[in-house]
Amino acid sequence: MSTPAPAVPAPGADTEGLQVAATEQARHSRLPGWFVILWRNGKCRIGLLMLGAFVLVALLAPLIAPYDPRGDDFPTSLAPTGGHWLGTTAQGEDVFSQLIVGARTSLIVGLAAGLLSTLIGLVIGLTAGYLQGWVDEVLSFLINLGLVVPALPLMVTLAAYAPVRGLWLIIAVISVTGWAYGARIKRSQIITLRTRDYITAARFAGDGTARIIAREIVPNMTSLIVVGFMGAALGAIGGEAGLAFLGLGDPQTVSWGTMLNQASLGGALLTGQWAWLIAPGLALSLLITSFTLINFGIDALSNPHLRED
Amino acid sequence: MTLLQVENLSVTYTPRDLPANRAVHDVTFDIDEGEFVGLLGESGCGKSTLGNAVLRLLSPPARISGGRVVFDGVDVTTASEDELRALRWTDLSTVFQSSMNSLNPVIRVQAQFADTFAAHRIPGDVTARATELLELVSLDRHVLRAYPHELSGGMKQRVALALALALRPKLVVLDEPTTGLDVVVQRSILTRLAELRRELGFAVLFISHDLGTVLEMADRVMVMYGGEIVENRTAAGMLHEPRHPYTRGLLGSYADPRLPDVQVTYIPGRPPDLSRPHRGCLFTPRCPHAEDACREVHPELLPERGGLVRCLVAQEDRLPVVRLGAADAAATIGSHFPATGALTDPGGTPDVVAEAVLSVDQVSKRYTTRRGLRTSTTDAVRDVSFTLHPGRVTALVGQSGSGKSTIARLVTGVERPSSGEVRFEGGSGPTVRVDRLRGRALVDYRRHVQMVFQDPFSALNPTRTVAYALSRPLVNFAGLRGTAIRERSAQLLESVGLAPAGQFLDKLPHQLSGGQRQRVVTARALAPDPQVLIADEPISMLDVSIRAEILELLGELVRNRRLAMLYITHDLLSARLLADEVLVLNQGVLVERGPTRDVIGAARDDYTRLLLDSIPNPFAPAKRSGDASVVRSAQPGG
Ligand SMILES: Nc1ncnc2c1ncn2[C@@H]1O[C@H](COP(=O)(O)OP(=O)(O)OP(=O)(O)O)[C@@H](O)[C@H]1O
Ligand code: SF4
Ligand SMILES: [Mg+2]
Repeated sequence: MSTPAPAVPAPGADTEGLQVAATEQARHSRLPGWFVILWRNGKCRIGLLMLGAFVLVALLAPLIAPYDPRGDDFPTSLAPTGGHWLGTTAQGEDVFSQLIVGARTSLIVGLAAGLLSTLIGLVIGLTAGYLQGWVDEVLSFLINLGLVVPALPLMVTLAAYAPVRGLWLIIAVISVTGWAYGARIKRSQIITLRTRDYITAARFAGDGTARIIAREIVPNMTSLIVVGFMGAALGAIGGEAGLAFLGLGDPQTVSWGTMLNQASLGGALLTGQWAWLIAPGLALSLLITSFTLINFGIDALSNPHLRED
Repeated sequence: MTLLQVENLSVTYTPRDLPANRAVHDVTFDIDEGEFVGLLGESGCGKSTLGNAVLRLLSPPARISGGRVVFDGVDVTTASEDELRALRWTDLSTVFQSSMNSLNPVIRVQAQFADTFAAHRIPGDVTARATELLELVSLDRHVLRAYPHELSGGMKQRVALALALALRPKLVVLDEPTTGLDVVVQRSILTRLAELRRELGFAVLFISHDLGTVLEMADRVMVMYGGEIVENRTAAGMLHEPRHPYTRGLLGSYADPRLPDVQVTYIPGRPPDLSRPHRGCLFTPRCPHAEDACREVHPELLPERGGLVRCLVAQEDRLPVVRLGAADAAATIGSHFPATGALTDPGGTPDVVAEAVLSVDQVSKRYTTRRGLRTSTTDAVRDVSFTLHPGRVTALVGQSGSGKSTIARLVTGVERPSSGEVRFEGGSGPTVRVDRLRGRALVDYRRHVQMVFQDPFSALNPTRTVAYALSRPLVNFAGLRGTAIRERSAQLLESVGLAPAGQFLDKLPHQLSGGQRQRVVTARALAPDPQVLIADEPISMLDVSIRAEILELLGELVRNRRLAMLYITHDLLSARLLADEVLVLNQGVLVERGPTRDVIGAARDDYTRLLLDSIPNPFAPAKRSGDASVVRSAQPGG
């Protein structure tokens, strides 16, 4: 008697099936699964739209900004007028143009420092979790060190004593201080993943460690990596603004942080230039709000029950 | 008196990404006070959904879409949350399969009892009451001071049971309370449960996919298929005269492994997709007795011979008569193992045994664990020797923790023995000392020795297609490139009964059923064309009705490809069906060995007999009613 091949497909709707169904649906629409899940959440969608607007402004900054943000041939300390929507600075620069170009800086810092610290966290977390043994002990010590050392003072010290100034210094400082949290989460995730039978099976199929990590483990961590990136980017944007506000930023770059710094130095409060003072702070909080809203959806990535609202 | 009344209950899942799923459809039944009712059916038939609906524990996307549930005069379907809270736990409590994992990990057992008492304002001394409850489930009082992680699965499950009984409920819903536990532990929990019910007189709704357990325990059994109840009658009636073809099929997967002639059957095919509308009887595609009318008319659940049955042919009394458990039953129920094949009678093939391909020689493994300053040693395996031969299956039987999987790791070179030798003699070169392999040599050795894993749901990477899984050993071991990989993968799939292969190659694991996944896992193990196959509990996570199918596949592969197989299991029935030789392992020591029939048919060792007695077997009480007390007294106390 031949072995009967089950001709009827499996009942599609097991609970696990539900979790991957979004991924499957995304396959048809060519969007990544995590994006589909994020987009479904109302709050998250608003966050994504806001972030999209910021990205658009940043990309098109040279076209949108009416003047050169560093051009200082306007009258100084103007209140908002038709020609200068948000007035001018104490040096005679156009505040609105600075605001637009500042979006670019914030997003570049967020993207670059987010990527960099996610990458550091990924490499260290994965190596520690996968290799275990003394490698893990050394790396875990590093991670814990990174977690207990307060980030802001470290950032300030690093930025203050660095021999060079510049945006990339800020990005480097933020990445170096911000990778530890992500590394710890990734380490514990890989520790649970590495004991799965499919990892053993891959070893039985003759695959090497590097391939197993890249092809078997990392694809199962995408949502975690996305979450980690968002968190790191948010921290980086806030960090840059903070450093710049303290005067530790790159004086050559226009950013919301340096704007705030100059507004307070230039006596915006005394001259009553509310717009100069409020605009960069407001832009910054809107950007941070958009990240927070996106985070609501990110919870749903890891908890399928939250997806059914 | 009627305690629980379920009337025309329907539950629908309306998930966002999938079509709506009618998980429970028009279900009606009663449970009397003190009655023990079993609810049976294969995975996905809606048992848990029904159990949760009774407790109104459904959460979105599930929704009660019709009917009502009345418990002790209260309409649960419309009751307010406050009324429900008063009812749940005090009168109506539950133990899930995962209850053992739902104990709060950071507080001691005592505190969990204290919380339960406090939540329901039970006065008095917590310790005294809790000790009393633990005694009920045969646990020692020092368990109170333990954290959940310090207890074994069986102990945790008993704590969960004690908590469920804490307030003397009238009805306890048990959803797979022992699935995943080892046979011996399972047996002792069930025995205790039966005694408790006799003492305390609560009613039970016992949900399980394991017919053997349900029939042994329950007064009355309801069988569910595709969200409907298809048969409902007394356990005794069900055992002697099952009237629905599906019930007959389920019963066919049991047999007493000690009988000289063992025959099991299975129902090919899969349950219906409940998100699509169906006309006629849901069981038609799998039913051996289906007629034209079955495709058109949806049968009602009607009284028939003292029970209720949902089958057109049975209602007209035209089903053929079968004697279950008898050898001739097979011909009338679904598919069955070939009577001449090795599967039905492995002991009786006095083949000339070929040279051993793998020898395990006086192997011991000692684990040293360091906890703070103290080190403790465990002898996982002691002085074990055996050989594996081409075309033969050697079963390694033992309860969990007996060292079975350690032996698998030693044989595959994942770990090294503390003493003794593992030799592989099947390669073209000289004998390989497996206990000394490392690096590249170990990878090369795996070409010859492959594994089939226990849990088909974790043995395949959820993000990788079937084609990718199969391609890796083909690239690494067979050196295939380009289109040859896909061709060979397709052949492999067809050799494990997944045809046409094109339909499966690009699927992701979640698009396959459990049985199909296990076939893919087997195909991957066959890819390097190994000589030795280690199967570590390959069927224990599968539905009872699929188990026989996978066993048959493994048996065929061994015979056709002259594989040497080590079949690791705690299930003696499957060992009886598949193996030529049986090794019984108890706490790391081989206590009994020999041809399957001799070891199982006439077990000499006490431990082997305990394992045999722990197998749920619905036919056993009928055949061995006299020695039931003997069985019980053989249980370990704790
Ligand atoms: N969250 C969910 N969303 C959509 N469908 C679901 C969900 N949970 C369960 N289902 C579907 O409802 C049906 C019944 O599921 P249920 O969990 O009650 O099965 P079961 O009989 O308890 O199975 P098992 O033996 O595997 O526990 C199945 O078809 C299942 O796929
Ligand atoms: S109604 Fe027909 S198809 Fe359904 S179980 Fe009865 S005989 Fe089989
Ligand atoms: Mg269930």
